[in-house]
Amino acid sequence: MIHHHPTETTLAAYATGTLPEALALVAATHIARCAACRQAVATLEATGGAVLDEVTPVALSGEALDRLLVRMDEPPRAVPPVLNPELPAPLSRVSLGRWWPVGPGVRYRPWRASGVAWGGLLLAQPGRSLPRHGHAGLELTCVLSGRFADGSGEFAPGDLSEPVTDHDQPPLVIGTQPCLCIIASEGMRLRGLLGFAQRMIGR
Amino acid sequence: MNQPGPTRSGPDHATLIEAVALHRDRAAFADLFGYFGPRVKAWMLRAGCNATAAEELAQETMLAVWQKARQFDPARAGASTWIFTIARNLRVDTLRRERHPSDLMPDPAAEPEAPIQADRVLAIAQREIRIRAALTLLPPEQAEVIRKAFFEDKIHAEIEKELGIPLGTVKSRLRLAIYRLRAVLGDLT
Repeated sequence: MIHHHPTETTLAAYATGTLPEALALVAATHIARCAACRQAVATLEATGGAVLDEVTPVALSGEALDRLLVRMDEPPRAVPPVLNPELPAPLSRVSLGRWWPVGPGVRYRPWRASGVAWGGLLLAQPGRSLPRHGHAGLELTCVLSGRFADGSGEFAPGDLSEPVTDHDQPPLVIGTQPCLCIIASEGMRLRGLLGFAQRMIGR
Repeated sequence: MNQPGPTRSGPDHATLIEAVALHRDRAAFADLFGYFGPRVKAWMLRAGCNATAAEELAQETMLAVWQKARQFDPARAGASTWIFTIARNLRVDTLRRERHPSDLMPDPAAEPEAPIQADRVLAIAQREIRIRAALTLLPPEQAEVIRKAFFEDKIHAEIEKELGIPLGTVKSRLRLAIYRLRAVLGDLT
């Protein structure tokens, strides 16, 4: 049962295609598991469809249709290969770097993403805290396995954390299993050891 | 303006897409092209593309409509909605020159589905019509934020700057508008 969801504005940015790639990957991981958010995205996409119907058309060039008619036998664009079959579908084709130790019991594995946000996988052992983020911009965390808790509640697989206010309590891995999350953040860098590792890795 | 006109809404376009899917019907495709091509181009222009890029992305969108017509499932999305998502994904791909998560997500439309339920298809087609009606009924300040988010593709901080209202207000207006649209649509997924 999923208890923690992205905010409506984040879902709207996802549906209109304006969420930076790294954040969109975290959102997609949650949405793939969450029927309520899939429904919200469907509503927003239908709004996009209504907007398309409403817009004042702008004529295409005169030969546009003829040009397309000769291209109709082209094969559809190739889908990128699956690189990480062990990860949920939205992450399976993402190009990931190596694991980096970023503190006792915590490892981080960045992915390459375009845009103003960065992200990666974070693996923390039971009893460890997840690294603190600054809260200068949007920050998303989705649990893949294990559980953590912070000032706003407990997060189990599928739950998405989108802190809207600063809270002092750092996320702490609870239970007996390590906690694997995907994280993404825009505009600022992580503090402490993870921040240091991030600078070493280059992003 | 291009044929067919705006009176030819939802269900007809779905039928045309199915004719493309089942019979590779070029006349049906030409109709879809005439209606959606110029609209996708207009949307791309509003979203900040230059004229060349908007033209190219509109053509690529329509080519994808031809290629992916078999994946169109009228029980999941109306014709306009489906084409909007194709256009959006192509634009995102162009911006990122990479993949978009929606392409990476398992596409339920690609899998064979249970027999299509006629009432559901009708309800989905009605959804676009209801959304259009609901958009005209939103309070002006909510409609403005929705339009900026969709038409002009503004990120929320840009809307904040442009309207001169705090980000929190942008977000709460957007949230209220989305609640209202969802209420209009009920439980269709």
